[in-house]
Amino acid sequence: MRLLVVEDERKLAQVLAAALEAEHYKVVVAPTGEDGFFRASSETFDLVVLDLMLPGRSGFEILQALRQRHLQTPVMILTARDGVEDRVLGLDLGADDYLVKPFAIPELLARIRALLRRGRPSEILRLKAADLELDLVTHRAVRGDRLLDLTVREFELLEYLLRHQGHLVSREMLAREVWREPRRATPLDNVIDVQMTRLRKKVDTDPGERLIHTVRGVGFVLREGEP
Amino acid sequence: MTTRWSTASICVRLTGWYTVVLFLMLVAYATASFVAVRHEFLEQLDDQLHDDFETAEGSLAPMPDGRIAWSRDRHHDPDSDEDRGSDVWSASGEPIYRSGASSALPPVALAAASTQARYESIVANGHRWRTLTGTSLVGGRAVVLRVSRSEDRLRGQLREVLTVLVFGLPLIVVLAGGGGYVLARRALAPIDHLAADARRITAERLHERVSVPNQHDEIGRLAAVINDTFARLESSFEQLRRFTADASHELRTPLSVIRGIGEVGLGEARTPAEYKEAMGSMLEEVDRLTNLVDTLLRLSYGDAGTVRLSREAIDLGQLAHDVVSSLGILAEERGQRLEVEVAVGLSVMGDRLVLREAITNVVDNAIKYSPQASTIDIRVRADGNQAFLTVADEGAGIAPEHRERIFDRFFRLDEARSRDSGGAGLGLAIAKWAVEVNGGHISAEAGATGGSIFRIVLPIGTAPVREHHEHATQRIGGHA
Repeated sequence: MRLLVVEDERKLAQVLAAALEAEHYKVVVAPTGEDGFFRASSETFDLVVLDLMLPGRSGFEILQALRQRHLQTPVMILTARDGVEDRVLGLDLGADDYLVKPFAIPELLARIRALLRRGRPSEILRLKAADLELDLVTHRAVRGDRLLDLTVREFELLEYLLRHQGHLVSREMLAREVWREPRRATPLDNVIDVQMTRLRKKVDTDPGERLIHTVRGVGFVLREGEP
Repeated sequence: MTTRWSTASICVRLTGWYTVVLFLMLVAYATASFVAVRHEFLEQLDDQLHDDFETAEGSLAPMPDGRIAWSRDRHHDPDSDEDRGSDVWSASGEPIYRSGASSALPPVALAAASTQARYESIVANGHRWRTLTGTSLVGGRAVVLRVSRSEDRLRGQLREVLTVLVFGLPLIVVLAGGGGYVLARRALAPIDHLAADARRITAERLHERVSVPNQHDEIGRLAAVINDTFARLESSFEQLRRFTADASHELRTPLSVIRGIGEVGLGEARTPAEYKEAMGSMLEEVDRLTNLVDTLLRLSYGDAGTVRLSREAIDLGQLAHDVVSSLGILAEERGQRLEVEVAVGLSVMGDRLVLREAITNVVDNAIKYSPQASTIDIRVRADGNQAFLTVADEGAGIAPEHRERIFDRFFRLDEARSRDSGGAGLGLAIAKWAVEVNGGHISAEAGATGGSIFRIVLPIGTAPVREHHEHATQRIGGHA
C-alpha cells in the first residue's frame, strides 16, 4: 500500500510518516502543494492524506484537480479549521473523510484503515481474540468457557475494541463511535473510563491473559500478548 | 456650510434655529401689522373724503342767475388747507369752482364720472392725492363734484411706522438671540460637565463615576444611565481581566508540566518503562490542553455569535432522561441515586445538542460535588409558558456570594479538588452559554434542606404540531 502525505509542517509530516510506516504502509511525503499536486496527478497511490492549508497550492485545489481527472484515490483531509463550511466544501469536492487538528494518531490510523477497506465489504459475524469470542448475531460474549454478562453498551464497547484489535483506540473514537456523541467532553471521558473499568473486570478477571490495556495519555488497546 | 453647521455645538444650533424662527415670526407679524395699519389709515382718509364730499355738496347753491356758487362753509374753510381741495365741474366739463389745492390736480375726466361716487388716487406734481368724485344735482343742474386730500401726511405716518418696524425688528431679534444663547448655554452646561467627568474615567479608573447633580431631572437621569454603563463596563473589564489571568494559568500549567517532563526525562538515561511513563504523562497534559483550547474556542465562537444553531422541538423530559442514562454510571460509581421526575410531552424549542450539553454539565457537576450515597433530584415541569428543569443535590451548597460567579469561566469553589476531577471550571460557563443562546436562563440557589439547586428555565416551544410529529418519527427511526 502506497500512501501520499501532503503536509508542509515538517514535524507533523515526519510523525505521520513514522506512524504510517509502523503500520507497514509505504509513505511518500510531499512538503508543498505544488509537489503534492504533481505527485498526486502523475503517480498512483492507494490513499492521499491532504493538509488543507498549504503553501503554493491549497489542499482544495489539489483535491479538485484530482477529482477532475477522475482519480478515485481515497482522500483524507487534515485541517485546523473546524468550520462547517470547510468540512462541507472538502466533502463536496470529493474528500472521503476529514480530521481536525490536533487529532489523535490512533484515530487517523483507524480512519485510514476504514478508507482502504472500503469497497471490500466483509460481513463479520464473529470476533475473536485469544480465548475471547463475540457472536455478533446472538450478542453473546464468551471468555474461555465463561459466558460474559455484558450490558448493551459494554458489548458495543468490546465489539469496537475487537474490531480494532491490536490498534490503539482513543477516547475521541469511543465517544463518537460507541457513545455516538458528536463531541468529546469531560463528563463523557469519565463515563468512558468507568465503563472501561467495568468491562475490564468482566473480561479480564481470570488469572489468564489480560486483553484490554490502558495506554496512558492515548487510550486503550485490545491485544493478545504483552505490548 | 452644512458640515460646519452640523459640527457647531448644540448651543449654537439651538440659538440659530431659535433666532431664525423668531425672525420669521416677527417679520410675519410686522408685515401683517403694517398692512392692517395702512388699510386703516386709507379707510380713515376715505371716510374724511366722504365727509368732505357731503360738506361740499351742502356748500353748493344755485344762484338766481342760474350759476352755481360756492357758499362759504361756516365750519371750516377749505381754502385754508394746503392739503385738500374741492372742485366743481359742469356736466359739459367747464370748471365752475376750484378751491384749495385742487388747482394742482388735473381736470376731472368727465367720461369716467358717473352717478356712482368713485374713489381714486392721483399723482400730480410728484404728490399723491386721494380723490372722491361724484355727481350732484344743484338746483336741478347736474354737476360733477370732486373732493381731494393729499396722501402725503398718511404716507409720512406709514413711513414712520415702517421705520420703527424695520429697525426695531433686527434689534429685537439680536437681543432675543443673545438671551436665547445665554439660556441655552446655562441649560446645556451640565452636559459639558458630564462629558468632562466621563472623559476623566478611563480603563484604569473605571471605578470612578460621574457626579449626579439632581437625580430627578433629565441631566440626572442621563448621568445615572452613564454611571450604570460604567458599572457594567467595569464589571466586564474585571471579568475579562480575571478570565485572561485564569486562562493563562490554565494554559501555562500543562505547558510547564510537559516541558518539565521532557527536560527531566532527557536529563539522564532512563529505562524504556520510564520513557513510556514520561511520554504518557506528557500526552495526558496535551489532552488536557486540547480539551481546554477546544472549549475556549467554542466559548469565544459563542461570544462572537458565530455558532450556527438548529431550532427544533425538543422533549425536555426525554432529554433529561437521555442525560441521566448517559451519566448514570458515574453516579452509580459513587453510590449516588439519580431521581428523575419529568412532565410528559413538555417540549421546548432549541438546539438539541447544545441543550443536552448544558444539562449534562449541570448533572455532572451535581454528581461530582455531591457526597457518596446521596440523592440527586432531577425534575422537569411546566409553569405558564416556561419549562423548568431543576437539579437538586445534597452537596455542601454554594455560598450566596458565589452563586452568580459560579457560572463565570474558570470559577471554582475548591481549587485543589477540581483539577483532579478533570474540569477546568468551564462546564457551568458552557452550560450558561448553552441555555442563554437558546433563549433561557440558568441560576443556582440554596436547597431547602442544604445542598444547592440549579434551575434551567426555557420558554416552552411553540412549534407547529406537524413539525413535532415529523421530528418524533425521525427520532424513532434513528433509534431503530
